[in-house]
Amino acid sequence: MFRRQKSHASERKKELFSQGATRFTLKNDMRNFHFLSRLVLSAGPLKPTPAVKHSKKIHFEIEILDAQTKKQICILDKVTQSSTIHDVKQKLHKACPKWYPSRVGLQLECGGPFLKDHITIQSIAASSIVTLYVTDLGQQVSWTTVFLAEYTGPLLIYLLFYLRIPCIYDGKESARRLRHPVVHLACFCHCIHYIRYLLETLFVHKVSSGQTTLKNLIMICAFYWGFTSWIAYYINHPLYTPPSFGNRQITVSAINFLMCEAGNHFINVMLSHPNHTGNNACFPSPNYNPFTWMFFLVSCPNYTYEIGSWISFTVMTQTLPVGIFTLLMSIQMSLWAQKKHKIYLRKFNSYIHRKSAMIPFIL
Amino acid sequence: MAAAAATAAAKGNGGGGGRAGAGDASGTRKKKGPGPLATAYLVIYNVVMTAGWLVIAVGLVRAYLAKGSYHSLYYSIEKPLKFFQTGALLEVGIVPSSVVLTSFQVMSRVFLIWAVTHSVKEVQTEDSVLLFVIAWTITEIIRYSFYTFSLLNHLPYLIKWARYTLFIVLYPMGVSGELLTIYAALPFVRQAGLYSISLPNKYNFSFDYYAFLILIMISYIPLFPQLYFHMIHQRRKVLSHTEEHKKFE
Repeated sequence: MFRRQKSHASERKKELFSQGATRFTLKNDMRNFHFLSRLVLSAGPLKPTPAVKHSKKIHFEIEILDAQTKKQICILDKVTQSSTIHDVKQKLHKACPKWYPSRVGLQLECGGPFLKDHITIQSIAASSIVTLYVTDLGQQVSWTTVFLAEYTGPLLIYLLFYLRIPCIYDGKESARRLRHPVVHLACFCHCIHYIRYLLETLFVHKVSSGQTTLKNLIMICAFYWGFTSWIAYYINHPLYTPPSFGNRQITVSAINFLMCEAGNHFINVMLSHPNHTGNNACFPSPNYNPFTWMFFLVSCPNYTYEIGSWISFTVMTQTLPVGIFTLLMSIQMSLWAQKKHKIYLRKFNSYIHRKSAMIPFIL
Repeated sequence: MAAAAATAAAKGNGGGGGRAGAGDASGTRKKKGPGPLATAYLVIYNVVMTAGWLVIAVGLVRAYLAKGSYHSLYYSIEKPLKFFQTGALLEVGIVPSSVVLTSFQVMSRVFLIWAVTHSVKEVQTEDSVLLFVIAWTITEIIRYSFYTFSLLNHLPYLIKWARYTLFIVLYPMGVSGELLTIYAALPFVRQAGLYSISLPNKYNFSFDYYAFLILIMISYIPLFPQLYFHMIHQRRKVLSHTEEHKKFE
């Protein structure tokens, strides 16, 4: 700085000289120098040319708009690079307390997908000002709760029907007729199916800590509970007709059912292995367990085995409502399987191509 | 409800294919219009349907004048009604409204025509049948002509006004007609055991058509107000939007 001042002074001196100040003697030079330096110094503090520390921090400004009315709700500023959607939601809640972080859904554009909590602002920002649309997703419940409710319901409902509560069936008729063993077998199989699901939800599956809306929970439960009541009503009815082909039909389908249940279990255990879940999953490879050999043929054998279980149950009880339930479940599961298959095709291109999504060689 | 759902379905996007937003209730649709061949097909379809429902309307009037009373007019328009209402199944994918709403409406109409009025012959002399037939006829004539004019980009304000206003009367009229008809059909269904299976049977299945019809009647209670108020909301949006347009012209 001192040098600069000096150079400034000398530059001015040069200027003065060039303007025709050649008359000055050396003494005058010194006097002028002092005079100049005082002038320069008295001109006020020289603004230091900023030796700026270029901060590598870029701050984002996030504009939050209501997804429905498109009106601006608030602007969040000084959002750092490394902030995530989760941080944004917290900030939004601080700024506008009515938006609870757990109920808020943020989208980049109005019809787009909801951004997950772990996504950083940097990855989605096109410029330093980001516009996000916010929607209130309603009361949320965790997926674990959904699964537990979804599986406990049918378990209990079927047992209610099995025990022939008097208000459902006519008391006298129920007491009179002896029940065919297939009815007991059906109850046993049904209970095994749902108990297995419950145990797997609790101990095997590493369910993503995601959430879903309360409305979703109610719809899923209504579907499962409603259908279970419907099928349990017919199977446990006093006027139930056993299968046409008798014991052979029952035993074959029962064995098939148990095999599919075992297969489904082993596949679920395999899929919950840390290698096969999450973003860095690799495609599961079959091992010594014969049930896992389905992985050679299909990419989602858990759905294959589940459909197998339900088809066996239908054949075992020879009840049309069970068939309708199986059909609807198959349609839903085939949609899920196709989606998963597409994801696999994108990720593990090489050896997936010859596999089908759910049913070997078809679909 | 079938009548209301029709108008609701169609008003969901407010316009025949091709209009990029004027009078469009949803506003944000930037659909490119269908190509000339598709437009021609749609125009022909809508014209045919308008003509068909006009035939039904004319048939009703002629029968009324001939008979002198409004009872039992169903028989005079039975065939065209069945033909053109069932033909509405073709529009499920091509009409510019949500597929869910359109298919729901068409299915409920077809159900009423075939599974109730056609199947339960004793109901055909009821006055409630006339009630919903009139409601449907007027609604459909206006709706299909609305689509036709929209496709040709020449929509008279009268048609748009009619479409978004007359439902206020026609919708409740149609719903009452439908409900009364189903209610009238109930005793005959019970008596004849129509479309019902009972236990025991080989497939362990039972279906009680009587209970099913009652369930359908109950389902009108949550659905009717929703559709009705949705349409009132659409009306406010569309007609006020047009008012603004007119101001700026």
